[in-house]
Amino acid sequence: MPVTDPFAEGIARGWKTHDGSRLEKDITLDADIAIVGSGAGGATSAEFLSAAGYKVLLIEEGPLRSSQDFDMQEPAAYASLYQEAIGRTSKDGAITILQGRAVGGSTLVNWTSSFRTPAATLKHWADEHDVKNLSEQSMAPWFKRMEQRLGIEPWPLPPNANNQVIRDGCAALGYSWAVIPRNVRGCWNLGYCGMGCPTNAKQSMLVTTIPATLDAGGELLYLARADRLIVDKGHVTALECLAMDARSVAPTGRKIKVRARHYILAGGGINTPAILLRSEAPDPHQRVGKRTFLHLVNFSAAQFEQVINPFYGAPQSIYSDHFQWDDGTRGRMSYKLEVPPIHPALAATLLGRAGIDNARRMEQLPHTNAMIALMRDGFHPDSAEGQVQLRSDGTPTLDYRMTPYTWDGIRRAYHSMAEIQFAAGARTVLPLHNDASHASSLGQARQMIDGLNLELYRTRLGSAHVMGGCAMGEDPRQAVTDSLGRHHQLENLSIHDGSLFPTSIGANPQLSIYGLAAKLSSQLAERLKNA
Amino acid sequence: MINTERPFSRRSLLRVGLFGSAALAGAGLIGSLSGCSAEQSAAGFVQLRESDLLMLRRLTPTILEGAVPESSMPDAVRGTLTSLDEGLAHLPPAVSKQVSQLFDLLSLPLTRGPLTGVWGGWEQAQDGEIQAFLQRWENSPIALLRQGHASLQQMILMAWYGRPESWRHCGYPGPPVI
Repeated sequence: MPVTDPFAEGIARGWKTHDGSRLEKDITLDADIAIVGSGAGGATSAEFLSAAGYKVLLIEEGPLRSSQDFDMQEPAAYASLYQEAIGRTSKDGAITILQGRAVGGSTLVNWTSSFRTPAATLKHWADEHDVKNLSEQSMAPWFKRMEQRLGIEPWPLPPNANNQVIRDGCAALGYSWAVIPRNVRGCWNLGYCGMGCPTNAKQSMLVTTIPATLDAGGELLYLARADRLIVDKGHVTALECLAMDARSVAPTGRKIKVRARHYILAGGGINTPAILLRSEAPDPHQRVGKRTFLHLVNFSAAQFEQVINPFYGAPQSIYSDHFQWDDGTRGRMSYKLEVPPIHPALAATLLGRAGIDNARRMEQLPHTNAMIALMRDGFHPDSAEGQVQLRSDGTPTLDYRMTPYTWDGIRRAYHSMAEIQFAAGARTVLPLHNDASHASSLGQARQMIDGLNLELYRTRLGSAHVMGGCAMGEDPRQAVTDSLGRHHQLENLSIHDGSLFPTSIGANPQLSIYGLAAKLSSQLAERLKNA
Repeated sequence: MINTERPFSRRSLLRVGLFGSAALAGAGLIGSLSGCSAEQSAAGFVQLRESDLLMLRRLTPTILEGAVPESSMPDAVRGTLTSLDEGLAHLPPAVSKQVSQLFDLLSLPLTRGPLTGVWGGWEQAQDGEIQAFLQRWENSPIALLRQGHASLQQMILMAWYGRPESWRHCGYPGPPVI
C-alpha cells in the first residue's frame, strides 16, 4: 500500500520554502511575523497567525525530512532528526536529552502522548508564579480546539505488551492507571514514532499546521539557526540567522537577516534561552535560562517469560499517575510512570554494562519490558533545577544540578517500578544502574535498590521533555515574559514554547504547548490588529 | 570538570598519576596536548583519526564480547567503527571536540599510561589490562573519567546495535515493510 508524502506534494504545488544550506550569498527576508522554531509552539502559532492574515516566516535550524525519508532505522533518525544528533546531554554528560531538530521540531520524533496541563499545575503557577488567566476553565477551549485539530483521543486499540505491564501490574496492586491520548489519525500501530512517522498518521506539525501555514501563503526557512536578535531601545529590529550545512552540523558562513514587525521565539527549552543570551537581550533580573526543568527519567527493565517485543506497537498507551500527586503538589518528589519504546541501539546504551553482561541483556531484548519514571521537577524549592549556559562557540548547554530531594524521588521510583513489574508477572527486575543486577523477587529488588549508590553516571538518567528557562509571570523579577508570552523588556517579542513554563508540567508537554500557543497567538493577533 | 564533591585526596592523585590529574585540571593542557595528536582523519574515515582507530580497534572487541561469535569479531569491529565514524560526523563541533579530547586522553602516550594503566600501547594491551582500565574509569573519583567511561561504552554499543548484523543476537527482526 503506497504511502503518500503530503509535504513533498505541497512543495510540488508551490509552497515557498528556503533551504539555508543551499545559499550562495547572504539574503534578507521580510515578514509580518517571524517565528523561530517549527515545533509545537512555533508551528501552532504560525497556523493561527497566517490564518489571521499575517505574512508568517517560520524558521527552523534542522533539515526538512518527510515520510518518504523515514526508513525506521535508528542511526539515520538519530543523526538527522535529533538535537546534536542525539548527542545533546546535560553539561556534565550524565543526562541524555532528547529533543527534535528538524522541520516539525520535537513533534516529529515524540511518542504521541497528549495530556492537558494538570489543573494542579495551572493552580500552582497562578498561586506561586504570578501567572494570570491560565486556569483549567480558561485553557479548556484551547485544549479542545487543538485536540480536535490533531486527532487527539485515548488510544482505542489494546496496548502492546510493553504497555500492558503497567496495566497488569497496577491492576494487581490496586494502583490507578489510564489510557494515554495520542495525536494520531489512522495509526498503523507500528511503533516507530521516534524515528519519524513513516505513514503520516502521527499528527505532528509537519503534516498539520506547517502545511496549513504554507497553504495560507506563509514561508518556511530551514537549515537556518536563529543566532541573535538585534535590539534597539526596547525594540527588536532584526533577527540574524546562520545558514547551516545540509546535515545541520555547522554554519556555512552564509547569513540570513530577517526583518519583521513582530518576533516569536519557539525554539523550545534550552534553545530559546540561548537566543536571548546570545542576543544579550535585556535581562535585568538574570532570569533567562534559569529554572529549566527536565521531567528527569530513571529506568527499570524486567524480563518476562512471554514475548514483549518492546520495539513494536504504539510506544506509549498506558500510564500511571498513582505516584504523581499523592503527596500534594509540593510534597516529596513525585513521578509519572510510562514505558519507552526500546529499539536495539538505544536499548544497548540503557541496559548497561558492556561485554558479556550487556550481550546477555541484549539477547533477552524480545522478553524485556522497560519502564520509566518521569520526575515532576520544579515544584518544590529543593528540586533539581537547570540553568542554560552558552559554550565558547555560542551553542547552549544545560547545567542541571541534582539534589538529595530529587535522588529520593529516583529511589522511590525504582521501588514503584519494580513492584509493578513483579506484580505484572516479571521473572526478574533490573533497575538500570551500574551496580544493579537482576532481582528475582520483590524483596531482593527492594534490598538492592535501598543499597544503590545514587550518583551521576552510575544511574542511567534521561529526559525527553525540556521545560522552562524563560518563565512566564506578571513579576519581571521572576519571569522573562508576562502571562501573554510578551517579553517584559522588548515590546515586539513574544515567546510561545515550552520554555515559558515556570515549573515542569507533570505530564508530557506537547498538548500544553499547543493549547498555550493557540491561546497566546490568537491574543497576539488581536493586539496586532488593534495596534 | 574535577569532581568537586569528592575531596581530591593524595591517594586518588597517586592512583591517577600526577600527570594525568594535571592534564584534566586544565583545559589548557588538553589544548596543548591536542596539538601533539594527528588532526587529519584516517583514510576512509570522516572523523576518526589513526590514533583513535588504534585505541578503538583494541577496545571494541572487549565491549562487544559475547554479542558476536569470535570468528565474526573482525567484521563486527570494522562495521562498528564505520557506524561510529558516521555518527560522530554528525555531532556539532563543540561536542565533536569533546569526543576528540576524550580520545586524545586515551591515545596520547603522555596521558594514556597514567590515566588508563595501559602503558605499552593499545595493540599490545592484554584483555586483563583493558578490563582494569574500564573498571578504573567507571569507579574513578574524577567525574570526567566516569563521564568518559559511560560515553565510550555507550557510543560503541550504539554504533554496533544500529547495524542490521547485530539484530540476530538481540532477536530484533527489523522494521516492518511498508
